[in-house]
Amino acid sequence: MKRAVGLLITLIMLLTQTSCLGLRQINELAIVTAVGLDLGDKPGTIRVSAQIIRPADARGQTGAPSGGTGQPIYSIVSDGTSIFDAIRNLGRISSRRVYWAHNFFIIMSEDYARKGIKDMVDFFTRNHELRMNTWVAVTPNIPDEVISTITGLEVVPGEAVNRLFQNNHVVGRAPASDMMNLEEAFLSSSTEPVLARVQLMPRGISNLKPEEHGSLKQVELGGAAAFLGDKMVGWLNVKEARGLLFFLENLASGIEVVNCPDGDEVMSVEFRRAHLKVTPAYENQEPKFRIRLTTEADIVESGCSFSLGEGVRREAEEKLEKQLKSNIDSVIDKAQHRYRSDFMKLGDVFRNRFPEEWRVLKRDWNQTFSDAQIDVEVNASIKSGVVKAVGTDIR
Amino acid sequence: MSTAQEKLQAQLDASFTPQLSGNIAALDQILGKSADMQQRDFKLCGSSEFPGVCCFVDGLADASIIEAILKALVIFGSDLHRDPAAMPTADDIQTTLMVNASAKPCGKVRDGIAGIVSGDTLVLIEGLDQAILVSTKGWKDRGIEEPSSENNVRGPRDGFTESIRTNTAHVRRRIKDPLLRFDAMVIGTRTQTDINIAYIQDIVKEGLVDEVKRRLKGIKIDAILESGYIEELIEDAPLSPFNTVQSTERPDKVASALLEGRVAIFIDNTPVVLTVPTFFWQFIQAPDDYYNRYWVGSFFRSVRYLALIISLVLPSIYVMLVSFHHEMIPTSLALTIASGREVVPFPVLLEAIMLEIAFELMREAGLRMPKPIGQAVSIVGSLIIGQAAVQAGLVSPFMVIVVAITEISSFAIPSYSSSLALRIFRFPLLIASGVFGLLGFATVFFALLLHALSIRSFGESFMAPASPFRPSDQRDMLLRMPLWMQNQRPEFAQDQQRMGEQQMPRPPKGG
Repeated sequence: MKRAVGLLITLIMLLTQTSCLGLRQINELAIVTAVGLDLGDKPGTIRVSAQIIRPADARGQTGAPSGGTGQPIYSIVSDGTSIFDAIRNLGRISSRRVYWAHNFFIIMSEDYARKGIKDMVDFFTRNHELRMNTWVAVTPNIPDEVISTITGLEVVPGEAVNRLFQNNHVVGRAPASDMMNLEEAFLSSSTEPVLARVQLMPRGISNLKPEEHGSLKQVELGGAAAFLGDKMVGWLNVKEARGLLFFLENLASGIEVVNCPDGDEVMSVEFRRAHLKVTPAYENQEPKFRIRLTTEADIVESGCSFSLGEGVRREAEEKLEKQLKSNIDSVIDKAQHRYRSDFMKLGDVFRNRFPEEWRVLKRDWNQTFSDAQIDVEVNASIKSGVVKAVGTDIR
Repeated sequence: MSTAQEKLQAQLDASFTPQLSGNIAALDQILGKSADMQQRDFKLCGSSEFPGVCCFVDGLADASIIEAILKALVIFGSDLHRDPAAMPTADDIQTTLMVNASAKPCGKVRDGIAGIVSGDTLVLIEGLDQAILVSTKGWKDRGIEEPSSENNVRGPRDGFTESIRTNTAHVRRRIKDPLLRFDAMVIGTRTQTDINIAYIQDIVKEGLVDEVKRRLKGIKIDAILESGYIEELIEDAPLSPFNTVQSTERPDKVASALLEGRVAIFIDNTPVVLTVPTFFWQFIQAPDDYYNRYWVGSFFRSVRYLALIISLVLPSIYVMLVSFHHEMIPTSLALTIASGREVVPFPVLLEAIMLEIAFELMREAGLRMPKPIGQAVSIVGSLIIGQAAVQAGLVSPFMVIVVAITEISSFAIPSYSSSLALRIFRFPLLIASGVFGLLGFATVFFALLLHALSIRSFGESFMAPASPFRPSDQRDMLLRMPLWMQNQRPEFAQDQQRMGEQQMPRPPKGG
């Protein structure tokens, strides 16, 4: 009996020591699904904006009616001297406790990113409520606008952006950057961060006023922001982002549009099972990289006015190779000569192959990398040309 | 012991005397002038020299059998009466006149009274210092019906009744093994309830029958009204909500228990038979499992395991996630839950307890009400709880779903009494997870698990064959393996071999 009582008291004490008593009902939380970071009006301040879900309006009313405004989200903005200060200030506006664990998306303004994201990486990895699989992106627009833009398909805009990122591999025009790989690149000495670019574009067509031809702003994912250290150094356009993806995510398939062999018409080629192999070398105290991309491809759409014979196929292969090579070349050129930042993880590859040499080179890696010789070779083979060409039978 | 008691004992211990009037007076003193006690005077062989009395309890004794006895005594007794001076002995009367299956002389008043109150007829004749006790038991019995608490789709439809002899006959009909034993006992100083202990001599584990008898003999109680009394007085873990004695209304279940080396305890006046030792997993097993194909049996058994888990933990997990661990819920689900809870004024824990209690109330009310009204209760209850309470903003629709799934799962557990135990366990789990979150849930859950692992049933671990792990018994625990693979009895049985090796059926070769 004595033992049982002792055990009970120990258990109760153990349980209460864990501060598990912080009971919060789910409907007493302001669930944040997107957060924006910008520089405040006053110098040295930070502006945090949050997209908060209004569950009753976002999910329809289940049960008794509750005062709804019809708007699925509630967006608020507040300033502070640090991120945490700004977040605490959000509590002065929000009637419910701001809850971050369901956050999908962190978006930073270009100005903020150029000033340095050290604080942001620190805060978002240190706070236990925030998840590491949150998408991170940079926008040339104002973050407040991006997070409060309602997209047509999803009720919750944060969810819409989440899906954009999830389906990104189909389009293959921006890196799927989340907190996890941002932090990894940030902490690594051999690589630099690169984040996706998100912008507002007037692409949505209003059902009420269709004659305004895409007047509604929508969130578009495409391109990337390159960093050096913790500071953003510049943009990569969608073509360069495609080249970048071969390095970062082993992009396996995508569509490239190439010119027909003899004229202005174009054909679409889908490359599949693309495989990029980087072979580092160390000669004469200089690192060298040989990059070899092999891929299979299909012709999926042909505007060419002739039948697709064997020779044409060879020619199309060459065009595809050229185009993919130019994608890769362009991003390497930007990384080496414009931004001098190794965000393509070539340093990683080199370090893995030459750990001893890396110790010497890592001190000035970005410089060394900029001067490194990089050979790109693309090898494409079109396996089937089965398409209906104009005026011919199916081949 | 009071003086009245002592006097009664003294009267019971007396022997019958040759004086009929004295014997009758003694009986009257003990039994009083009870309304159901009948005394029928007769004259042996029609002769006034030998007056006699038949004593029996109206309703317990079969009137037609008594008529036959009287006929024999009065009319056919002339053979005995050839020599008027010679007094026929009790043995003579028994062997020549009594055509009944069971009739025996009895010298003690105690035995005579015991016979009368259990439905036999006591024949007293002037001049005999012994009475004759004739078996005339014959009261109305309930017909054999399908057990109401244990339904099966495929399988025998007969269930136990209140008569112990009918019940033992059910089992004897199934197991015609000469080694099947029924050992009789009487428990209850006032009810004098008949108890039979059934086992198969060469299968049952050594010492188990003695242990069961020892425990039964230890019972000193005035009344045994139902098997629940016995169950509570012989179980190993009397403080535990788990029942360590299995009860069933199905003869096929008892037969299979006996064939697995268990002991069954039959109690008169109840259709519920107890089997020991009992293992936790038996509560999930239904006879259907063995009567259907093994794929089907295994599948539905696993469905029942799922039901067991759901009925135990689902409300607790829901409460725990919604009040503490919001990050563990998928975002879209979290939003739906939040929108449902938007207007609910209570914390989730209170909401859950409220609804659980409402369901328990409805269940209990539906059970106690007369049958036609019972259905009305459940309809009204489900309408009010399901629809109006949500509309009124008292509970969230999610909670209704969670509690409904939980209740339905608890109905899927074949053993009624153990599903009641699980219902009870739900509440401590619920409160712990509502107050301490995942940590509280884990603590209580593991405490439960440890408790279940620690208790025993008649010397066998309650959680066997999972713990201690018995590989050969696994073929009938989580899954129901084909019969030709289950050729061994459970490990605690004495005789292990159930069937020959290689019993898997195959078509003839070269066919």
